[in-house]
Amino acid sequence: MLMSPRRSSRDSFSRRRFVTQALGMTGVVGLLGTHPLAASWLAPTLRQTSTDRVLVVIQLTGGNDGLNTVIPYRDEAYRKARPQIGIPEADVLKLDDDLGLHPACSGLMELIERGKLGIVQGVGYPDPNRSHFESMDLWHTCRHKEQRRREGWLGRYLADVRDQDEADVIGIHLGRDEQPLALASADFQVPSLASIEEFRLRVAKQELLRGILQGTGGAGKEDDQDDLMAFLQAGTSAALSAGQRLDEILGSQHDRGEFPASLLGEKLGIVARLITAGLGTRVYYVTLDGFDTHALQPKVHGALLRQWSEALESMMKYLGKQGMEDQVLVLTFSEFGRRVAENASEGTDHGAAAPLFVAGGGVRAGLISSHPRLDDLEDGDLKHAIDFREIYAAIIEDWFAVESLGILGAKYEKANLFASTR
Amino acid sequence: MTIFDDLDPDWAWEPWEATAEDPWDAAKGAHLARRAGFGPTRSWLAKSTARGLEKTLDELFSDRSAFDARVYQESDQLVGAILGGQDPRQLASWWLRWMSMTPQPLVEKMTLFWHGHFATSAEKVVDVECMYRQNQLLRDGALGSFPYLVQGIAKDPAMLIYLDSAFNRKGRPNENFARELVELFCLGEGHYNEQDVQQLARCFTGWEVRRNRFRFNPYQHDDGEKTIFGKGGIRSGEEAVDEVLRQSTAAQFIVGKLFRSFFADEPAPPPHLLAPLALRFRETGLEIGPLVRRMLSSRLFFSSRVVARKIRSPVELVLGILRALDATVNYRLLADGLERLGQGLFYPPSVKGWEGGRVWINSSTLVGRANLIHALVNEPTTRFGGGGLSSWAGRAGAGELADFLREFVDICFAVSPGAQRIERLLEDAQDSSSGEARYRRLVGMLAALPEIHLC
Repeated sequence: MLMSPRRSSRDSFSRRRFVTQALGMTGVVGLLGTHPLAASWLAPTLRQTSTDRVLVVIQLTGGNDGLNTVIPYRDEAYRKARPQIGIPEADVLKLDDDLGLHPACSGLMELIERGKLGIVQGVGYPDPNRSHFESMDLWHTCRHKEQRRREGWLGRYLADVRDQDEADVIGIHLGRDEQPLALASADFQVPSLASIEEFRLRVAKQELLRGILQGTGGAGKEDDQDDLMAFLQAGTSAALSAGQRLDEILGSQHDRGEFPASLLGEKLGIVARLITAGLGTRVYYVTLDGFDTHALQPKVHGALLRQWSEALESMMKYLGKQGMEDQVLVLTFSEFGRRVAENASEGTDHGAAAPLFVAGGGVRAGLISSHPRLDDLEDGDLKHAIDFREIYAAIIEDWFAVESLGILGAKYEKANLFASTR
Repeated sequence: MTIFDDLDPDWAWEPWEATAEDPWDAAKGAHLARRAGFGPTRSWLAKSTARGLEKTLDELFSDRSAFDARVYQESDQLVGAILGGQDPRQLASWWLRWMSMTPQPLVEKMTLFWHGHFATSAEKVVDVECMYRQNQLLRDGALGSFPYLVQGIAKDPAMLIYLDSAFNRKGRPNENFARELVELFCLGEGHYNEQDVQQLARCFTGWEVRRNRFRFNPYQHDDGEKTIFGKGGIRSGEEAVDEVLRQSTAAQFIVGKLFRSFFADEPAPPPHLLAPLALRFRETGLEIGPLVRRMLSSRLFFSSRVVARKIRSPVELVLGILRALDATVNYRLLADGLERLGQGLFYPPSVKGWEGGRVWINSSTLVGRANLIHALVNEPTTRFGGGGLSSWAGRAGAGELADFLREFVDICFAVSPGAQRIERLLEDAQDSSSGEARYRRLVGMLAALPEIHLC
């Protein structure tokens, strides 16, 4: 079985949720108050700690048409390949003299102008597979189908850094859809949640419960080998505190933020609130389905892009107001792009390389790497210039500061995602 | 050095016997019921306390002929209705109802154990009847012979569909099932090599699923001789399974997994502690029943090293509370709630089944556990012994809130939350509400305490 090496992670990771709270936030009590080490962790030096990093993954399921997302609007070959569904030059949101965004992506434009969004062009992998499942599985596991694929890249990462004694959720899949393989690991299961309500305790008297847990008494065996009870005790206190913090945030009008009433808008709204509530979660995963646009693409694709762009922009704005924009990295990907030439039903078929998007987290803003050439195709598809595992390597090593070899199964060069060495 | 390292195996596996200082009592009965089943009901506990361990075990290990046939018939009718539909989650609701009321809780506990061991998900299999037939196979063999189970699972349509092994052609053997057979079902990692897997896979060529039934296709079977674990002359899949089970590690592997399930999530016991059990298990042809009975009647099982050393699975937690209150609920609500907590019956997360132990617990599942119990207890359709909770408590001779609370703690908690906490909950409940609501709220509060998760 493919396993990554275990690493001790007690040092910086286990204290992250406490640190989150300690960083520039009032009302630090919650989690801190219940932990015996809280006082020492409030030492001034920790205020400078910035290892407190979160990754949000947005999966565009179905194969997003990259060519109509980041558009080579001056390219004759583009016009020729897409007489029906090409985006008119006048409508394109221009990034430079050659490239621009789909008109539904004004949210992304704003992020770029604020220096908060980077677009990595021409991302893919060798011998592209045009099956949704095969390609998605490869993106999730970094393993070919000949190998066994039980663990995802994020699952392996989380298993590596997980602290057994920490009861806070280290990863969350938000949504009622099937849990993505990317989060799977042999050792533990990440929860799937559909709503923020699932984080709020509904018992009659929370204050009483908190009081009881903070007070003395309670079970506990004499021998210190039985730390199961201590684990449960700490976990229950942490859950109560996170719930309380959420209540505060949800209850305060000021913090509510504005999120689009779309499916993704709601999901990212929850993610943003959970992050600011100081939950010790490192990876959030959400999906937006519907990108498999074989027919009558323009309307559907535009609506999906708008949904994604608005939701992403709202989340970044909300995090920005809380001063947490740079603590969060958002990755948006799809299992493949689409064929360069449109089909006969005003749609596009499964393709290969496509752009990928990174936001927040001190990323290099604007266009990263060059657009794949339309006059140099492989079986009618764009060729990739950057392997998606190079993106992962950069995220694992530069963002999370962990060795990527065991997680990715091979050593990949790191894509240059960040503005400065992080 | 862990709590199991310094144990003398001879001491550990001797049958536990009541003494004046360490008598058979309700606490021991409740421990047995929590581990061997889904927790005691009030009346079960009274009966078993009076009967003693031996008779209690006799009943736990009885087959269904010892019980009222009508209970089984009624349950079978329910299944019949569900099989006509297309929803595997209805099957999960049925199973939970059956777990909570079966006269043979140990059989269901073992069936659940094997469901995790031979994990198969309806997510992929889809067909309800396939899932049910596998469930019945696991139930039939729950306390029978392990070879029967493995031979059955090797031909089980749900398993083969789940492992992408519904077709297996000569010349291009599918290694998936062969690999899981040795790695997950029988021996564990590191006790076989790639050569063994490839040879095993050849034995299973021609094993197919057609219209959701197993069939042997002789035209696709590679009838050549195979060598597995150094033994030559093996041809059929059945012979291959037998050869795998002849490995001495098979007994150790299963005993280790049963220990984790019945005794303690952690730490892992040293091999020498389990050696006498594994040896006997092997000598008796891998008969599961006698092994489990020896484990559940041992000194170690009733010792402080084992009591309250496990984290309850979602199923154990919720059914334990419902049984303590003679409660019947909307089982679909229960099944869906348990799935959100990570234990969807017929929907295990992967072919490895449920990891168990601390993995069950995180801040979202802790809140989710308390909320699910709160919701079920306060659901208007929930009945306690057929009626309201306060009248049930009254009939049970625990009409006073304080009596009710203490009895609930005794039945439901493997380790008490302590007098102080109990006192505060009681004070609050007496102050703030009245009648039925008071009882239901109190259960909700108790179920939010950290101690509730131990068993």
